[in-house]
Formats: sequence, structure tokens, C-alpha cells
Amino acid sequence: MSQRPPDFPPVIVHEPTFLDSLVSTKKVIVCCGAGGVGKTTTSAALGVAAAARGRKVLVLTIDPARRLAEAMGIPEAARTPSPVPREKLTELGIPANGELWAWMLRPEVVFESMVRGLSDSEERTQTILQNRLYKHLSQIVAGMQEYTAAEALYRLSTEGNYDLVVLDTPPSRNALEFLEAPRKLSMFLDERVIGVFLPKKRGAFWAAASSLIDNVFTRIFGDGFYQELQQFLGAFSGMFGGMRSHAEAVRTLLTSDEATFVLVTSPEPSALAEASFFQSKIKELELPFAGYVLNRSWAYTRGFGAPSAITLGDSVDPALHTALPKLQVLAAEETARAKRDRGLLLDLRAQTGKDAAIATPHLGGAIEDLRGLAALAQNLVKLEPDGT
Amino acid sequence: MKSLLSLRAILVTGKGGVGKTTITAALAQTFAAMGKRTLAAEMTADGISTSALGAALGVEGLSETPIDVRENLRATLLAPTLGHKKFLEDVLPMKLLADAAMRSAAIRRFLMAAPTFPEMGVLYRLLDLVRQTRSDGDWEHEMIVVDLPATGHALALAQIPSSLLRIIQVGPIANAVKEGLAFLLDPDKAGAVIVTLPETLPVSEAIELAAGIREHQIPLRHAFLNRVPNDPFTSDEHRALAELMASLPPTMGVRTVDRIARADVARARFATGVKTSVTELPDTLHAGPDLTMHIAQTFAQTLAQENVSPVGEHEARR
Repeated sequence: MSQRPPDFPPVIVHEPTFLDSLVSTKKVIVCCGAGGVGKTTTSAALGVAAAARGRKVLVLTIDPARRLAEAMGIPEAARTPSPVPREKLTELGIPANGELWAWMLRPEVVFESMVRGLSDSEERTQTILQNRLYKHLSQIVAGMQEYTAAEALYRLSTEGNYDLVVLDTPPSRNALEFLEAPRKLSMFLDERVIGVFLPKKRGAFWAAASSLIDNVFTRIFGDGFYQELQQFLGAFSGMFGGMRSHAEAVRTLLTSDEATFVLVTSPEPSALAEASFFQSKIKELELPFAGYVLNRSWAYTRGFGAPSAITLGDSVDPALHTALPKLQVLAAEETARAKRDRGLLLDLRAQTGKDAAIATPHLGGAIEDLRGLAALAQNLVKLEPDGT
Repeated sequence: MKSLLSLRAILVTGKGGVGKTTITAALAQTFAAMGKRTLAAEMTADGISTSALGAALGVEGLSETPIDVRENLRATLLAPTLGHKKFLEDVLPMKLLADAAMRSAAIRRFLMAAPTFPEMGVLYRLLDLVRQTRSDGDWEHEMIVVDLPATGHALALAQIPSSLLRIIQVGPIANAVKEGLAFLLDPDKAGAVIVTLPETLPVSEAIELAAGIREHQIPLRHAFLNRVPNDPFTSDEHRALAELMASLPPTMGVRTVDRIARADVARARFATGVKTSVTELPDTLHAGPDLTMHIAQTFAQTLAQENVSPVGEHEARR
């Protein structure tokens, strides 16, 4: 079943969608949603769409499907973003001023650059990087991916190398941790928390509080490790201000009108529940919400023929006489799913209050190459067949 | 599936969107119906939950203390706070000090935000739940089914202890973590199951996950292939249809035929790659608690075919 007429999948977007102005104007698009809904693929397709509009785009992705990484030409272990080769972009009809870059986020690289950037001396940098605890940092720090995604977003969007950064958020159950990461880190780095670990002068109040804390932590960690931890945090102490100000800057950027959040979901009830939960969270955090992309849906049947319309000649394979009625049963099931998914799409549109939801056509299996991404892009924004 | 019955805890792993939560709920319902006192637990290291497990069981809002769902079945959130509290109580010489420590905003924040401590709290809480006994000396929860978070780090619970042990080698935390690890690695007590879908990438990811689970020496006991499409065609019909469709424009029903073909390939890859027993679950249009019930029925049938009486050994013993 691999052979297909060239017009598959059908292009269903013939008018600008809510995503059109976003890919042309925004500096940051954050794609959020439950795991397994096609977030990475949607992020990459939005990147293709923006490049087709002549913009310089970076798709920042976390743990992409390996073959998608290969398709986009992202080396798995790269320390910096890589460009998709020009000839591949030309094949897709992307104009000369359009660029597509991609980077598979590596927490340890981001963290190391942050240390280098914030450290006041090479000596301090080395003290931190050589610390025994630092070497285990990325293995043990839960939320490290989320924190570094925020840090990378800060760096890449403030350096001014890209017109647009599309962020594929880390696969987290609530897709919340990414938003919470800077706050959580600020919380951890709060002097009132960190301060108690650091050997320094204290007032009477601090003395009382910290003797309790010293007592508790020495018992919990054992004396040796507690001292090691104090040294480690001590080495960082001059940097907390910088880390907090990055966290604040990310927050400011994400609440500004240069950024927008797109929620990606599938028709699965659990994914929908999570998306709607996330929409309320976005509202609560006063972040700019763009709308929904409903992936893996069967909503669109336009352009598909009915098996009942197929007439079999006399000389056909006899197996077709039994196969076609069975195909009709499957077609009826697809029609039922289409009806259900169109209902879902209307619900999502109503939920945004501004009709901002779009369903992508079911593209069969997983998208594994740039062509597939370009096909998906054509179903997200209005693009001419040559890509412009 | 029979081999799951002798365990005290089952860790349900898999990527997001594969039906992990529903299968957790269905496993718990199946065991409960067999007369085992069962606890279904949703792990949440950050204390936040969408209560997907509650939804799959048809109850609203889970909390950190188990609530009754039906006879023999309870459900809870497996969150760090109670684990931290228990840990501090066990480690610190006076309950007074533990209470003061938990009341201290600085310590609480540290425990929630510091590397691995949320996971350690979850692990400690799990151990506590496993060890709780009733007044007659029997286990409070004979079986605990844990829905692990759908992050890239499905192995977090297993990975964290061994990483943590490299960093903190001695002291109370190290001891607690060693205990937790010993439990997770004991093939008589704990085991992992994998859930995935019969599609190319989910199967690749599940095979990688299986390798990861083995690497951490956690016993992998079983796998579930969820939402397997029904194949109504003979191989002759498949071939004839493929030939016909190659010359026609897109036709309704064909995407499902393609899906069936992909599922066949994926099933074969999964069977050889995952190296454990696999139960297949059919694709249905059911959702929510209804879906959980249907899957639980499938499990009961599977166990019956494996000659496990529906009442179960436990009930028979009484």
C-alpha cells in the first residue's frame, strides 16, 4: 500500500488560518500538549511554514523521534543548532531568504554555557565544572530538561540570530513543568533557601533557623555530603542573581506579544483533557494563547472517494469481491470517526472563544522526512503549492 | 500475565498517549475483582496531577491518602510530601524535630526543588505503602499498581536511586534509597510492564524502554500492545486491494487498511524486540471508565486462559 497518487495527502487549507499571522510575525511559538500527540512534528512543520514565508527559524526540540531528527538533518549530539541544507529547502520551494535551523536540546551543554556566561572568572568556572556533584547534575536533576529549555529559549531568542524560535516543550505529563521551571528554580535559588546552606555571617533570626536546618540536614545527608553540598552551592553563589534574572527574562518574553502558545492535541479523551487543563493554566499565568492544533484526527474526508463508488470489471482479482464490502465497513468506521472528530474540532473552536482551532488531516503513519513536514505545513497555514 | 499475580508492586511504563493510565486502572480492577486488596497509584513527582487515573476509574480527585473506589480497590496519588515526612520521622530522633522540619518553608522548598528529592520522596512513600499492615498482620495493600509519569524519563523511579547512590554513598538517604532499590529489583516483589501501540515509532520507543529497564535490572514482567486494529481481510484480499488502490485516488477505509498493515509489522517487531510475554488489546471506541472495564474483562479472560481461577489463589486460600 505504499504507492500513492502524488496529491496525497489532500491539502485542506485554502484560506489563512489562525496560525498564518503567527508564523509570519511572532518571535517565539511554544508548542505544548500531552505526550504522543505529535508536538515535535507540529513544531517542525510550523518551522517549515515560517521558513516558507522567508523567515530565519530555529526549531528547538527535545527528544525528537530519531528519524525525524535525521530527516531534518539534526545531528543528535550537536552542541549548537544546525541548518537544514539549502538544497533541501529549495526542493521544498522555500525562498532564498528562508532558513530552517534545528537543535535537539542537550541540557548539559546549555547548563555549561550558562555557567560560563555567568561566572565571573575562569577559576570559578573550573571549580564548578570540576565539582563531583556537577558531573552528576544532568543525570540526577529532575526538571533539568525543563529548566534548560527555558534557559536555551532565553539565550537563543535574545541573541537575535533568529526571527523565530519554535519550542517543542519537554514531554511532561502536564506540560506544565516547562512553565514552572524558571519559577521552581528561582524558588530553589532563593537566598532564603540557599542562604541557609552557605557558610556566612547571620543575624539572630537566621542563626535560630539555620541551626535547625543544619541539624536536620546533617542528620539526613550525613556530615560529609552536607559539607560537599555547601561547597557546591557556595561555588554557585555569585551566579544565582544571574540565573534568576534569566528566569525572569524568559517569563517576560513569554508573556509579551512577541510570544504565543499553541496547544497540540489528539482526539484521545486523555489528551483533550490535558489540553483543556493546560489552556486554563495558560490563562491563569496570563500567557498569550493562540489556539489548538488537533492532530491524528479523522476529521477531514474531503478528497476521499467512497469504496461503494468503485465498480469492478469482470476480469478483476476474485478476492476483490469479498474485500470491497469489508473495505466499506472500514470506510463507515472512518466516517463515524470523522463525525466525532469534527464535533471535537467545533468544541475546541468554541473553547478558544475566537474560533482558533484547526485539524490536520490524518497523514497515515508517522511523518519521517522533510517532505512529510512540508505536507503537514501546507495543512497548517495557507501556502502555495510551490511553498510560498 | 499470570506471573504478575505474585508481585507486590507493578510499575506501568510507556510513552504518553499509549493508554498507560487506562491499563493501570484495568490491571488494578482485575486484581481487585480476584479478591486482592489493590491500590492503584498515580505517580507525580511534582505533586500536580490531572487525575487521569481517577477519571479512568470513574472517581473524582485523587489525594495523597488512598480513597476507596470499590470493594478491594483503592486509588491514590503517589507524591513526595508524605514520603518526605515519613523519611524525616524515621531519620530524625524526635517527631517534634520532624514536624518542625516539615513546617520550615526553607526545608520544604529545598526538598521539593532539590535534585532527585521529589523522586526519593515518592520512592519512600511507595515503600511505606508496601509495608503497611492491617491489625491482623496482613498487608494493607497486597498489590500496588503504579502509573509512572509519561515523561521521557519513564525510568525515573529506577534511575534516580542508582544515580543518587553514586553521589550520596553513605548516610540515611543512601540507606533509604538502597532499601527502595532492593525492593524494585527484587523479582519476587516488584516488576515493570510496558505499554505501547502497534505503530512504528511507539514500538521502537518501547523496545528502547525495555532495554533501559533491563539495564537497570528491574524485572520486566509483561508487555501490552494497545489499540490493535481488527484485520478483517485474508492475505489474498490484502494483496488484491493493494493492487487496486495503487491506481485509485484516496479512498475511505484505506487509511485503516494501511494502519492494519503497519500494526502487523509493528507486532512482529515488538514480539522479537521486547523479549517478554505480550498481551494484545483490541482497538475500540470505548472511553473513560467504560474502556477500563472492557480492558479489565479482557485481562480476566486472558488469566482464565492461563488457568487462573477468577476468584484467584488468594480467595481460594481463605
